[in-house]
Amino acid sequence: MAIESPKIMGYGTSPKRKEDPRFLHGKGTYVDDIKLPGMLHMDIVRSPYAHAKITNINIEPALETPGVLAVITGKDLDAAGLAWMPTLMSDTQMVLPVEKVVYQSQEVAAVIATDRYTAADGVMAVEVDYEPLPAVVDPFKALEKDSPLVRPDKGKDTNHIWHWEAGDKDATDKVFADADIVVEEDLYIPRIHVASIETCGCVASYDAVNGKLTIWMTTQAPHAIRTVFSLVSGIPEHKIRVISPDIGGGFGGKVPVYPGYVIAVVASLKTGRPVKWIEDRSENLQADSFARDYHITAQLAADKDGRIRGMKVKTLADHGAADAAANPSKFPAGLFSICTGSYDLEAAHVEVDAVYTTKPPGGVAYRCSFRVTEAVHTIERMVDRLAVELDRDPADLRYQNFIPKENFPYKSPTGWEYDSGDYKQALDVALERIGYEDLRKEQAEKRARGELMGIGISTFTEIVGAGPSNTFDILGIKMFDSAEIRIHPTGSAIVRIGVQTQGQGHETTFAQIVAEELGLPVDNITVEHGDTDTAPYGLGTYASRSTPTAGAATAVAARKIREKAKHIAAHLLECNPDDLEWKDYKFSVKGVPDRSKTMQEIAFAAYTNHPQGMEAGLEAVNYYDPPNLTFPFGAYVCVVDIDPGTGVVKIRRFVAIDDCGTVINPMIVEGQIHGGLTMGMAPSLFEEIPYDENGNNMAGTFMDYLLPTSLETPNWETGNTVTPSPHHPFGAKGVGESPTVGAPPAIVNAVVDALSHLGVKHVDIPMTPWKIHKLITDAQATTA
Amino acid sequence: MQFSGTHRIEATPQEVWSFVTDPKGVSSCVPDVQSIETISPEQFKAVVKAGLGPVRGKFNFDIHWKELTEPSLARMSAQGKTPGSAVTMDTVMTLTPLDGGAATELSWTADVVVHGMIASVGARLMNGFVEKQTEQFFGCLSGKVKAV
Repeated sequence: MAIESPKIMGYGTSPKRKEDPRFLHGKGTYVDDIKLPGMLHMDIVRSPYAHAKITNINIEPALETPGVLAVITGKDLDAAGLAWMPTLMSDTQMVLPVEKVVYQSQEVAAVIATDRYTAADGVMAVEVDYEPLPAVVDPFKALEKDSPLVRPDKGKDTNHIWHWEAGDKDATDKVFADADIVVEEDLYIPRIHVASIETCGCVASYDAVNGKLTIWMTTQAPHAIRTVFSLVSGIPEHKIRVISPDIGGGFGGKVPVYPGYVIAVVASLKTGRPVKWIEDRSENLQADSFARDYHITAQLAADKDGRIRGMKVKTLADHGAADAAANPSKFPAGLFSICTGSYDLEAAHVEVDAVYTTKPPGGVAYRCSFRVTEAVHTIERMVDRLAVELDRDPADLRYQNFIPKENFPYKSPTGWEYDSGDYKQALDVALERIGYEDLRKEQAEKRARGELMGIGISTFTEIVGAGPSNTFDILGIKMFDSAEIRIHPTGSAIVRIGVQTQGQGHETTFAQIVAEELGLPVDNITVEHGDTDTAPYGLGTYASRSTPTAGAATAVAARKIREKAKHIAAHLLECNPDDLEWKDYKFSVKGVPDRSKTMQEIAFAAYTNHPQGMEAGLEAVNYYDPPNLTFPFGAYVCVVDIDPGTGVVKIRRFVAIDDCGTVINPMIVEGQIHGGLTMGMAPSLFEEIPYDENGNNMAGTFMDYLLPTSLETPNWETGNTVTPSPHHPFGAKGVGESPTVGAPPAIVNAVVDALSHLGVKHVDIPMTPWKIHKLITDAQATTA
Repeated sequence: MQFSGTHRIEATPQEVWSFVTDPKGVSSCVPDVQSIETISPEQFKAVVKAGLGPVRGKFNFDIHWKELTEPSLARMSAQGKTPGSAVTMDTVMTLTPLDGGAATELSWTADVVVHGMIASVGARLMNGFVEKQTEQFFGCLSGKVKAV
């Protein structure tokens, strides 16, 4: 029997994920799997107070615990100049505090011991005396004149951090002045946490002989972390190696530098031994960077006939004790100004003010780091709000206001240039799939019987792929990304990329890019990432930027190789390179398809028979600077049934039509959409981190922080349309965060739609049974 | 969190006063007190083993009498801590004679603030916990004061 030659498996095919066999066999290597000889363990003493002066730390009882080797406090770090570190937003954050704590569960000291249990015993033995200070919990009160100061170190007499605006205020005021109708709503997008299954941690190992520091770390951005560590510690960058091995979920929560990483490095320097630090679940939920926490007031101005003309948004961003977001430096509120969405507005004006409170620093991502979730929630809720006010069907009102597909590239009133879109087509497909007309009839019948059923639509526009170097940087490092491809003599290849996978399937999809561009079988291509000693420099994986940036770099590098390969093929075929065409994954002489060379043959020649005067080998590097962002979009329709007796919201059906441009691997994209929709449902119905009046985190365990399981997750119905990005090398746009961004407003719109006849106009998330039940009973009490 | 209660005790205000202002006496009615150390007439320390749901720990309390107006009014302030959790408690107790002084009405209010793990994990259990502790305390108190 002939052995079947391996298939190319390029764009649009679904080879199984190369990374899955090792995960399915339990052979993945996560940070906690790293075990080094002589390794010590670190545990952290944390503050029970949200705000308190530290009057004394007595480490002696801990040092007397057998097996405890060292206890590190803020004073030790201060002496080494490491008590403070920069955040990715150029704010400052305490590694270990010297004077006071500013959030509950803040790191206060670290115990280094021979094993994890002893380290925990040591933590219990450290005696810390505090003098409680008033907690600053409410961000609005934090801005009042008499509010206690969270960060007196900033030298300002206010908790206000920054003010940011986008759009044209005067033009917007003018549109509002002559619009027929203005609707307004307050929306709160609560503080949530990514709750990755793998918590954060690291193994820091300083080799005193070679002066080299190696850190295995749960990070989404190993290169940026290496640079920050070098700048902060003074250790030369080539003497630092950051390895991000298998990562058990990132979603943005593993972009920041956490104090634990820095303390573990100091502990390794101090003890001369490797030090492992792994958070427990409650530490992860209580101390790591949060997401969201936006208090939004939005207004839409429209004409009586339904034409939406203008938008005004004012937002208060609660950043906790430090602005530790991971936004591009020129965009402190991320890409929030995408809030005009898929609609053609005349003018818009967006303002955001950030404030310090005594809560953990943030706001990073929850599968969308650049505040697009907040923006999409705002516009999609407001369009529905307007539909109710005008007594219009929400689908109809959207069709009326969509940016027409012939208007792309489209310049938005807040300054973005949307690359491509066909919003009408996506909504057509979604409404057809779900059977919108029939559902509306069913709803009318059910309503007459007193049953609560709602249909919600979200037609969102995403903005990802950061970003062009003229506007996008993090701590000054431009947001390009990179790929390096080396073809071996026998035609297999290794690809190293500057981004880092946390489950997205890079090892498969990036191999598919090379497979497609060079005609090599996907099975023969290895993808490596996450090791700063070997991978080219890149900013990492978050905000759906990998395919738009490093994916583009991979295609461009492959095309460089193809160009060189063309010259080798011409040499082998004894023709002029211009006489060759790349077709069916090989170079053939135009008009003589029999005379051709595959990439495998060319690769061998590159090392054995290359033209005189040409460099041997077949490899290329590209650092890709995207000319623009990409703008994926989608149309989601959600059907909910609400139990009036319990207030439980059940998602009966959810159709998600996504358009992320060219699809590399449909199976992986579908998987990402399923995960993303579940992570969109989670904060809509279950998740929130509330604080009590003393600044205590009230959802510090999985008993209180409700993650959805398969039982709560409906059967997502997915589909797609394809509108390629005109500026991306192969038209891809990115998809990872789209469903998390698009789903919440569809679910909220469905719930509000189910309750609208009771007079309900808005519900903030999470829409818990208690909240919904109260809305129903309050509405009944009012009408009774 | 605010807690309060009123109890009738079959003893004179003076008898009740002597008992409740004596650290050793009163602590004999607090479940799981491990030790009491008197620092001064206004100040004592207590070690209490307490468990609130999944949070368990040995709390070290610093207790101050802020006001002692014999035999009718006492104010007490207590700060307790265990690794990861902290409690502050301000209590006011008033004694009013009943039945011409043969019995006493003890009214109390407590303002309790909890921090850290005990608040995050235990806050929702706090009401039940305080009710149970109070019931035990006053049950014990009535018995002991009468017996004295």
